[in-house]
Amino acid sequence: MLKVKNLSKVFKEITAVDNVSFDVGTGEIFGLLGENGAGKTTTLRTIATMLKASTGTAEVYGIDVNSQPEKVREHIGILFGGEAGLYDRLTVAENIAYFAELYDMDKKSIKDRISQLSKIFGMDEYIDRKAGKLSKGMKQKAAFARAIVHNPDVMLFDEPTSGLDVSAIRDVHDFIEKCKKEGKTIVLSSHIMSEVEKLCDRIGIIHKGKLLDVGTIDEFKKKYRQDSLEEIFIQLVGDKQ
Amino acid sequence: MKWKHVITVFKKEVKDIIRDKRTIITSIVAPMIIMPILLVLVGGGEAKLTKDINENVTIALTQNSNTSEIRSLVKDKIIANNKNIKLVEVSDPVEAIRQEKVRAVLDFEKDYAVKLKERVPFIIKVMYDKSKTKSDASFSIIQDAIRNFDADVVKQRIVDLKQNPEILTPTTVEENNVADKKQSGNMMLMMILPMLLGVLIAAGGIPAATDLVAGEKERNTFEPLLITKPSRLSLLLGKYLTVTLFSLVSVVSTIAGLVIGFLANPNSVSAGMGSQAGGFYMEPAALLLAIFTTILLGMTFAGIQIALSTYAKSFKEAQTYLSLLIFVVMIPAYATMFMQPADIQSYMFLLPVLNTIAAFKMVLGGVINYTNLILALASSILYVIASIVFAAWMFTKEKVLFRS
Repeated sequence: MLKVKNLSKVFKEITAVDNVSFDVGTGEIFGLLGENGAGKTTTLRTIATMLKASTGTAEVYGIDVNSQPEKVREHIGILFGGEAGLYDRLTVAENIAYFAELYDMDKKSIKDRISQLSKIFGMDEYIDRKAGKLSKGMKQKAAFARAIVHNPDVMLFDEPTSGLDVSAIRDVHDFIEKCKKEGKTIVLSSHIMSEVEKLCDRIGIIHKGKLLDVGTIDEFKKKYRQDSLEEIFIQLVGDKQ
Repeated sequence: MKWKHVITVFKKEVKDIIRDKRTIITSIVAPMIIMPILLVLVGGGEAKLTKDINENVTIALTQNSNTSEIRSLVKDKIIANNKNIKLVEVSDPVEAIRQEKVRAVLDFEKDYAVKLKERVPFIIKVMYDKSKTKSDASFSIIQDAIRNFDADVVKQRIVDLKQNPEILTPTTVEENNVADKKQSGNMMLMMILPMLLGVLIAAGGIPAATDLVAGEKERNTFEPLLITKPSRLSLLLGKYLTVTLFSLVSVVSTIAGLVIGFLANPNSVSAGMGSQAGGFYMEPAALLLAIFTTILLGMTFAGIQIALSTYAKSFKEAQTYLSLLIFVVMIPAYATMFMQPADIQSYMFLLPVLNTIAAFKMVLGGVINYTNLILALASSILYVIASIVFAAWMFTKEKVLFRS
């Protein structure tokens, strides 16, 4: 499970993440909802140990991100939206195998895992094709497979459907729900209300680096007396403009 | 840091670069093709030019000097012993030099015949164009011909005085070069090779270094890599070794190109060095030390290149920084191009780039000082460590990694 405790990240004079705290349990999808530049990606990057927290910390299954970043990374898988970030000159299988090797998986496990992921994501047809020759949807599936090749307990998805077509978006949603069923701890950052509403068990609304409120959609509807998440979001963020 | 991770990154990067046709063509294939072509063309062109300069020396006489007596004097006495010099007729001699129809024009003093008879010096004015290579080079050939004529006249005068002409040459200089023939043969290489090595080793790793960090940032592959299990130092070292490998491969392919070019046209390397060139001999132990120093220079550059590529926000920015690095190398490389091994000061073996150039000059020149070679090696090791520390510092610094 994931515990974020008073996490802040300051870049020179800009406070990108300001004293953010939330917990995500096993088998739970936590949605981090906010506008572009609200601090969602910085929060995920700090949890993933890519950035060092200015103050506060986060714990992944009891392991502190500040003191044991390398150990934390063994338990975390992160997927960024937009460009899939694959090595174009390597095949899909080679892209996945590279990351698997970096996670110290042995050759047999790598082979088995690639074959398993290829089936899960329907990549059999292009698993041996170079990543540079694939469509955006295919690339995103390959990036997904690569991000979870080491079967992490905690998954961080940063705008995972950004720039994808309808059927690719559905595949991504199906996969996230499948991960939840497998008991993974999931944080999904998005600015798409419908996506968050559909997938997330609880939501944290983030604005200008501050986590404004955390709760389930029903709790939000009751608390803010609004029928839709969009109205709730506008009410919350509008108050803080 | 785990060596297993370093090797995984290294293997992946090598595979990735090998599949990049552009890098392979510019770093490996092109030098192996371009160098031989360049050597054959340059060597062939130079040989053709030298032959033309020496064999087609055309001269003319000014209008005042264009008399049958002077023509006979020139033809039968001055240029008789040099069949490459030809006297031709032109209407406007000075213009003919400018238009390269003749190499030079001779103008004899009006009363030259009287002065010659009375054994008084007379003037032969040689007009030529210093701005034209062929005309300029022909001047000395014509001057030699006139000197030979002088010597013949003097000899005849001595004979006329019933003296032995040998009284004019009390000494005879005999040339005896005691240098090892193998050492003399390295003269041209001693000038070119160390300079070339310095520049090549700096340039060779640039495509890989640019691609491996700045390129990854631009293609969005860098962030997923940073959140994998390995430490940043492991990732850095894997990339660092790749850059080192490709800078060395680039040097080897260029040297291979030079060797092919030399085999295709042996005169290309000895251009301008005459008979001195021809042999290749290097002290094996000293050569080994110089090669290690060169590899260490490549490793030093790899560290600097990775650091600069890490600092760059984009591929283009990295290319700009890394290109500047070549100029930094070119300065010491060209400054020491004509330096002989005996001129190398001990402190040069302690300075980066210069130590490699100095070590190779020493080996190629056959003047071996092992203390200096070991100094070069030791100082190079320190520079490698410094460059890796610098690269690691840059690679782990958040402000540098995520400048954008």
